[in-house]
Amino acid sequence: MSATPRPVDVRDTAGPPALNSGQKLMVFVLSMTLFGLANILTEVLPEVRIGPVEISVSYLAFVPVVMASLFHPLYAALGAPLGEIVFVDLLMGDFSGLGELEGYLQMFLAVYIGGCLVRDPRRRGQLFLAGVTVVVVDKMLSAIVDIGKVMVGVEDAEYVPGLPESILLLEGVGFTTDVIISGVLFGALPAMVLAPRLYGKIEPLLGLAPRDPARPHPLTERGTGAFLLLALVLAFVSMIAAFTSEIFDNFGVWEPDFIDQYGQRFLWIGVSAAVIVLAALVIAIRFVVHSRRERAAQEDR
Amino acid sequence: MPTADRRRERKERDTLSVEWVKLELLRTAYATRGGLLASRDPRFVIGWYLIFAVVPWFTHDLTVLAGLFLVCAVAVVLSRVGPLILGLFVFGFVLESLYVLFAAWFFGGDLSTVLALVELTLKLATVSLASMAAFVSLDPEKLSDALLALHAPAMVAFGVSYGYRMLPMLMEEFHTVVDGHRLRAAPLPSPGFLGWRVVVRTGSTVVAAFYPLMLNTAKRTRTTVEALETKGFTYAAEHPAGRRIRLAHLKADRWDAVLIAATVLLVAGCFTLGELYPLPVQVG
Repeated sequence: MSATPRPVDVRDTAGPPALNSGQKLMVFVLSMTLFGLANILTEVLPEVRIGPVEISVSYLAFVPVVMASLFHPLYAALGAPLGEIVFVDLLMGDFSGLGELEGYLQMFLAVYIGGCLVRDPRRRGQLFLAGVTVVVVDKMLSAIVDIGKVMVGVEDAEYVPGLPESILLLEGVGFTTDVIISGVLFGALPAMVLAPRLYGKIEPLLGLAPRDPARPHPLTERGTGAFLLLALVLAFVSMIAAFTSEIFDNFGVWEPDFIDQYGQRFLWIGVSAAVIVLAALVIAIRFVVHSRRERAAQEDR
Repeated sequence: MPTADRRRERKERDTLSVEWVKLELLRTAYATRGGLLASRDPRFVIGWYLIFAVVPWFTHDLTVLAGLFLVCAVAVVLSRVGPLILGLFVFGFVLESLYVLFAAWFFGGDLSTVLALVELTLKLATVSLASMAAFVSLDPEKLSDALLALHAPAMVAFGVSYGYRMLPMLMEEFHTVVDGHRLRAAPLPSPGFLGWRVVVRTGSTVVAAFYPLMLNTAKRTRTTVEALETKGFTYAAEHPAGRRIRLAHLKADRWDAVLIAATVLLVAGCFTLGELYPLPVQVG
């Protein structure tokens, strides 16, 4: 059967045993389904609003944390935010196009970082750290994007009295309650209970070897220069994706007095959006050419 | 509903709402209500949605935005979106606008603040309506085929159709597990201050229910994936011949062209109306 684990190669101490395509799909699908289900539950859990302070569970963060700390963090992180989009946003009809891309990248980055932090899922300290990190990274990125939208992007921010302060305050309060409720109460603490209990039980069900602390994932080992760079790029892309709507908004005002009106700082957003679009285009074209060639090769076969 | 049930309703609100959401999701996912977009080619439905997802961001004119909003509202009615999803949307829409208005007022905004926020709200609502009309009309198979036809990664297309199929079973299973916990647990001595004991009990039950659920889902996932791989899923999804066979049933007819043409005409009409009766948002 395709998913039976290969015998562990003891000579290769660089990293955990590689996954085959079936196992990758399993981890991806499992993480997607469970986080999707958790998100539907989140829709049901009641929220309490005290004035502008909202006390609610934004997501059950322990599900992706457990998945990413037990399995390969990359595939768990790729699956979890997709589950949110497929199960909740498409089904409930609040699919928001580009905004989903932003949310996907933020969540992916957060879960991946969280999963890489855990070397041994039996150690509760690491799980606590991972749980809090997931929510902090995700919420911080989205808060920065939201504040940035007001500071830089939205054309009327400066002229609308009271808007910047109010958004800054709301973001700050929201961030704090999110870290406490989603991060600690529904992220770190349940993960600390569940992950050690599942460790060694759930992996054999997928035909995988439990995570071995002596053989961590290479990214966690290597101090992560390249990984930090990737994280920065992804964070940036998600930010620009969020700004794109503002850039669309401002097509109507590309006039000579534009720079006087908005200042130089708006330009770098436009420029970086252009660079990202260009890079994406180049990659897409190369990908299309490559897949055409491959397809042609397959047809010949 | 008998009176006994109604009396218990308050106590069991969380279970009742899980049940309610479950039914509602099933209705949405397996839309059998028919309607305008349901019989169209799914690729064109996605195209139709993309038009309305992008166009609102190109304008600042309230007339144009109101026109687009109306078109989408009509599309929602014609696609026979279920009353509960629609109610949820209207509820969230009203609540959000009230909340934002309150925030702006609290920090000393005036009419221009309100207009700027109305503009944003209209844009978001238009996109939201369009997505409701489009995705309610697509059943999971159609949606995943359309995504595959548009060259989305095979994993995404698979995820969509698998997710929608598994959802009812998972909800059922979760419900069973939670019920088991409720049956075995002793009733709370008292709700405590502000019902904190109820909150803690609910939270810990939800978390504890995920333990068996994770194990069961893992087992089920392995079965599914191995069955798929035995049939050569990954290979067939990438091989052009497999793709061709799977997507052969997607056929666009002239009504699909008519749909897109009518949509473009309506959008153009909205912009013409905006030219005739401009109502731009003046800021400053």
